[in-house]
Amino acid sequence: MKLSLDFGVVFPVLVAGRLLVALTNISDALKHDHQLSTPLTSYLNLQEGIYLFKNGIDPYSGGVFRHSPLFLALFTTVLPTSRTVSSIVWTLSDAIGAWALVQIWRARQRVAQTSRDGLIAAIYLLNPYIFMSTLSLSTSPFENTLALVSFMFATQGLVSPSLLAAALLLQLSLSSILLLAPLIMLLASSPVSQLASPRAFSGNGKKMAPLVAEFAAYTAVLTLASALVSGGWAWVPQTWGASLTLPDLTPNCGLWWYFFTEMFDYFRPFFLMVFSIHLLIYIVPVCIKFQYDPLYAGFILLGILSSFKSYPTMADQGLFLSMIALFPETYPYLRYPIVTTLLHLHAALLMPLFHHLWLNQGTANANFFYASTLVYACANGAALTDCLWAGLRIAIGEPQEGFVVAQE
Amino acid sequence: MRKLRFLWALCLLPACLSHSFSGETFTEELFIRGLPDGKVASRFEFSTHSHGATPRNPQNLSVEDHSQHYTLFPLALGQILREYAVTELHLTLNAGKWNYDRWGYPDEPDVAAGAALWAWMAEGSAGANPRHSVDARWRDLRNALAGLFCASIASLDEQRTTSPARAFTPFGALPAWPQSGPHAFRHASLPSENVCTENLTPFLKLLPCKSRSGLAHLLNPHRLFDADWHGMGLHVSWRPEDGVQVRLTFQSVFDPLRSGTSRDWSFSSLFDRTVDQACPVAASSLVLVTLPVREPYSIQPEPASNANNRGVFPITEQTVPLDISIHWLNPFQHATIAAQAPLSVRRMLRGAAQSHGTLAVSITNPGSAAVRVVYLETLPWIVHLYLHTLELSVDGIPRADLLEDISYIAPVPHERASTLEAILAIPANSTVSLRVGVGRAFLRYTEHPPDAQRGWELPGAVVVLLDSENKPQKPVGRWVSTNKEAAQRKQAQVLAQAQPRRIYTPALLVDPATPDFSMPYNVIIFTCSLVAFIFGSVFNGLTRRFVVLRASPE
Amino acid sequence: MPHIHPDGTKLRDPSSLFYQSEYIRRLIIGSYWLVIIAAVPLWWHITSIQRLSLPTSRVRAQAGNQLHFPVQIQLEGIQDASLPASLQRLVDDRIRRSPQAWKGLDVKVNDQNGVCVTATTWELLTHPPDANKRLDSYTVRSTEGVPLASERHLAYPVRTETLPMLADTLSALLVPPTDTHRVAPYSPRYRLAFTLLNEDAAAGRAISGWDISGAIAHSLSILHNFTIESQVQFHAPLAFSPLSLDHGYGLTPEDLTVPLLILDSNGVPSSSDAFLLPQWGGIVIYSPTEQQHNVPLPPSALNSVFSTFASQLLGLLGVPNLPPDVHMNAPVLTGWQLDALLRRRTLENVQNAQDTLKSIVKLVDQIENMPVGLDVKGDVQNSLTALDQMYASASTSLNETLHQSADALTLASRAFFNPGMLALLYFPAEHKYAVYTPLFASAMIPLAAAAAKEIAAWRRQRREAAQVVQ
Repeated sequence: MKLSLDFGVVFPVLVAGRLLVALTNISDALKHDHQLSTPLTSYLNLQEGIYLFKNGIDPYSGGVFRHSPLFLALFTTVLPTSRTVSSIVWTLSDAIGAWALVQIWRARQRVAQTSRDGLIAAIYLLNPYIFMSTLSLSTSPFENTLALVSFMFATQGLVSPSLLAAALLLQLSLSSILLLAPLIMLLASSPVSQLASPRAFSGNGKKMAPLVAEFAAYTAVLTLASALVSGGWAWVPQTWGASLTLPDLTPNCGLWWYFFTEMFDYFRPFFLMVFSIHLLIYIVPVCIKFQYDPLYAGFILLGILSSFKSYPTMADQGLFLSMIALFPETYPYLRYPIVTTLLHLHAALLMPLFHHLWLNQGTANANFFYASTLVYACANGAALTDCLWAGLRIAIGEPQEGFVVAQE
Repeated sequence: MRKLRFLWALCLLPACLSHSFSGETFTEELFIRGLPDGKVASRFEFSTHSHGATPRNPQNLSVEDHSQHYTLFPLALGQILREYAVTELHLTLNAGKWNYDRWGYPDEPDVAAGAALWAWMAEGSAGANPRHSVDARWRDLRNALAGLFCASIASLDEQRTTSPARAFTPFGALPAWPQSGPHAFRHASLPSENVCTENLTPFLKLLPCKSRSGLAHLLNPHRLFDADWHGMGLHVSWRPEDGVQVRLTFQSVFDPLRSGTSRDWSFSSLFDRTVDQACPVAASSLVLVTLPVREPYSIQPEPASNANNRGVFPITEQTVPLDISIHWLNPFQHATIAAQAPLSVRRMLRGAAQSHGTLAVSITNPGSAAVRVVYLETLPWIVHLYLHTLELSVDGIPRADLLEDISYIAPVPHERASTLEAILAIPANSTVSLRVGVGRAFLRYTEHPPDAQRGWELPGAVVVLLDSENKPQKPVGRWVSTNKEAAQRKQAQVLAQAQPRRIYTPALLVDPATPDFSMPYNVIIFTCSLVAFIFGSVFNGLTRRFVVLRASPE
Repeated sequence: MPHIHPDGTKLRDPSSLFYQSEYIRRLIIGSYWLVIIAAVPLWWHITSIQRLSLPTSRVRAQAGNQLHFPVQIQLEGIQDASLPASLQRLVDDRIRRSPQAWKGLDVKVNDQNGVCVTATTWELLTHPPDANKRLDSYTVRSTEGVPLASERHLAYPVRTETLPMLADTLSALLVPPTDTHRVAPYSPRYRLAFTLLNEDAAAGRAISGWDISGAIAHSLSILHNFTIESQVQFHAPLAFSPLSLDHGYGLTPEDLTVPLLILDSNGVPSSSDAFLLPQWGGIVIYSPTEQQHNVPLPPSALNSVFSTFASQLLGLLGVPNLPPDVHMNAPVLTGWQLDALLRRRTLENVQNAQDTLKSIVKLVDQIENMPVGLDVKGDVQNSLTALDQMYASASTSLNETLHQSADALTLASRAFFNPGMLALLYFPAEHKYAVYTPLFASAMIPLAAAAAKEIAAWRRQRREAAQVVQ
């Protein structure tokens, strides 16, 4: 299907539509939803932290507020916390994300404008996982936007803004450190699609060390700023530490919460370590394999992150799914897109249903919701492995009658 | 055959403790009053003074204490107080819900449901033995009292311990020791504690006359634990002019109307016992009975004296056996009862979801003057407040101005309870409703109690009336003077002034979402297999060689 | 199906692709393993149980040690110079007959000049002749009259014909028989609780108090290092009905003048008004004769009661009695008795400490999951050190030796009952494997297989390359 709609029309219309929905009362119904926001991203917890902060109580002295101190600084100085303003800010953040996604697409295609621009923006803005998360005023769409902005600047070759955005993202979410390696590689090479013609990393390897140093400097400055804002270092174990030690076992769509609810105390530290290290193990292999197309490596790592991180929301998977729009060249090589779609559909219906039945209705038990998160994880895994396959398979060429391409 | 004999027991126990011989006095009193709804409230109070005794300075915990020699003071309690250098100690074990609206203020103000323990202890000097820190002593004190009273006080752990700053004030004085730190306050409550006979027996053992003579003989567990409400208390405090006082109280509400239409009562009907012997070591032993007003009645025997409409019956060798009985000539008329307490407090948890809800409190002031109160909420960490959603309203109209001050200690998951203390103004003739959102934590499967589906009991809130100077209304009375005449003189005065200061709301039941307790191994297998499967797929995708195969003919 | 080269297809040859190169594949597999290997120390740190090594060999060596108290007996005022040697023979005879009772004692009989009869040159060097000033030396002075023990002296009619009796007396003084059932278990400190029990104070006559501080100061001051406390109970009825002894005159229940007596096994009233509860305490019955009402106990009664308590206390503490034929010439006890008690307690402590230490080592050896923390190790080491110091001081100061042995026992017990040692008993190895397997079996097998395959391929290539070169 070829959409000939002009991006200049589609984008404002979509943003306006999103804004209209955001200004309804729907967010009150969604703000308690555990699939859309976790204790680390919940709007309620954010407001509680801001309230405590404004009233002179250290919000990090308790166990409710787990947002970065940068949010405190932002909301106590620049932004008001009223519901309406919040809805506008959140929607604008998504608009920036969509715009960044379009910019990445354009940079990848090396053109100023394409006919797909409108479609790509729509895929991001109308992705229900992202849309709903934004409506619930979860802060995880901010993380998506920062990730996209960071990649956007990287594709445009703007080193400092890209690294600054990545450093900000790290402040909000410790596990986004996974994205640093592909980002640096992207900054050192070109964003143009090389999937069909793999070759050795073409970028200048020597350029990368100063980039890492610059990133470290930004991170150090932001960390210090956070310490200044919150008046101490108590925020570190409460925010970054929480994603490693999982003190809050509120259900979410990820794999950690029930696993560590049911875990024997003796094995808890060990499995916390294994699950955290497990995330790191992917960085180097994926970056080596896709060294000729770092953007694709970043995309794969985003998929891994959204499946396996400690406090994921649906918006994380939404970002991964929306980013598929950047790689239309791989579509013919996807093996089971229908299965993946159906799995996602299945999970997206089951999870809210079972969550409601368990916690609100009281007619189901925790296993129901746990089972649906397993389905969701299967869907994530299917999308991930399929994209991985397609990204590699494309290099061999178009499918041909009588021949099968397989992995031995 | 009855003989007089004296036995000495010499006990050898592997050691530690102590205090010099000093004068001790024991007084006892029973106060009985009819309640507006026909029920009968009784309060036993047993006071033992150790004159000139002082609390132990924690500074001296590392040196040998002087010997403890007691005549009337309970040695078992003295050992605990000295061992852990406790300056002031309160323990209450209550069963049932005190109905403020129908019964008014209780004669003993602390009627929190279940077990409650609070104490003031001084902090030793910095760098002292960590076993002598306030928190270590608080833990040891809980264990010691649990052993003494056969109650689950030991489970009042750090997760239930709070230190509210305003709602509780020491009853006695806190000595200022130059080298020691200031006194620290610790409070913990266990609303689910069941109070029963096994708690009464150790209670009675602390009395010099046990339950064998004097008023304590009336403490018949079969009747007391059958009452509509009953509670016991242990209160230890110190005043420089008087020394250390141990006050043991037992309060109960009987219902003579339960089996009939007559509200007549007597010792035999209430306790199934009479006072047969006077306690020989009691400096004063009195029964006070509130006499009916504007109603014909007869009382047997006649009171020795009558002050402020209270009949006084001293217990002496001449007056025993004593079985006071009171008989109304007219039958009891059930009528609507006007609110008996200056404030009426309701508290409930709303919301069907197991992840969040709303705590709704309404405080009604039926009086014609505005009052100011401290509202204290101590919640275990499984329930946390969304303080930013706190709303105060009167008749649906938001009144943020009624909240004068707020202090809050946030909960720490798996570790610390939260404490909210707010100073509220309650306008005259109105009901203030306070609403605050709460979130409920999800617990590890090992953190649930054995009967997880039953839920957790949240301690009741405490509402403390403030006086004009913004301090909690000063505790009145209950400090029984050691001088006999002064005691009697003061008694009437004390009861006239007696104005309890704290209102306790009943406990709330909250049921946190439960995991499936049979699942741990299944979850390990499911989740691990899935993770391993995706991990393996990615690994294979990254490492296996691509090959081109010729498709088979079919 | 064999791999085919896609001739005649538009498909690119996969093996020509950059990412298909062996180098890339090995790099990827290597990077997986790198992270895993880098995580191993962390894994080790998180799951390992702290099991510090215990000084096992020291414990074993210590267990073989035997404490020896040298005991020197000086015979004074004797005419016959052969008496010390004869006495030594007699004592040795008794040691041979009951070695268990004499365990740990090295008895040497000297003549009045302090020359040890069986002394070797070495002993003469280490124990100078003025040994009667030493704490381990006892003097037996020959006198006429009844045997009289005082401090570390014994006045005894020492003659050739009384020597066997003297040997018996000495063995009763040095290793007195003890009733272990009665003696309270050893503790470095005791708490003494005195309780005055009135049967029923409300019945009319009660004793309301006692000047216990004075009584303690008067009677028990010598037995220092006790924590002493007291209380008065006003209602302590007997848990049984006392038997009424029919003396021929009628008794009414109100008759309060009749004393409460203790019957012996023959049903005859005992002359004693006190009895002892083994290992726990003692009871004295006081039956007042005059009319009393809420008065304190008269000082005269208090004195007799407390002297009974004092003797009961001595019994509970295990202070041995003097042999029946020996009279005492000391206020409370003689050095003979005290030394015998100290020696016995020390030997008990040493034995218990050694046994406890052995048990700890054995337990830790047997249960592989048992954690051994720094505190346990420290306690065990300190206990061993205390034992070492004790052996060093055994021949100089008995008090010091007892003190060290008590320390050793306390530390060993504390280590044994350390709650940290029980923490992980309930996670046997099988349980661990059951928990680890679901993740590791399925995740590690592909990793291991890939690594093995690559290593095999690399070896083959190297071999082939070598052949080509040849």
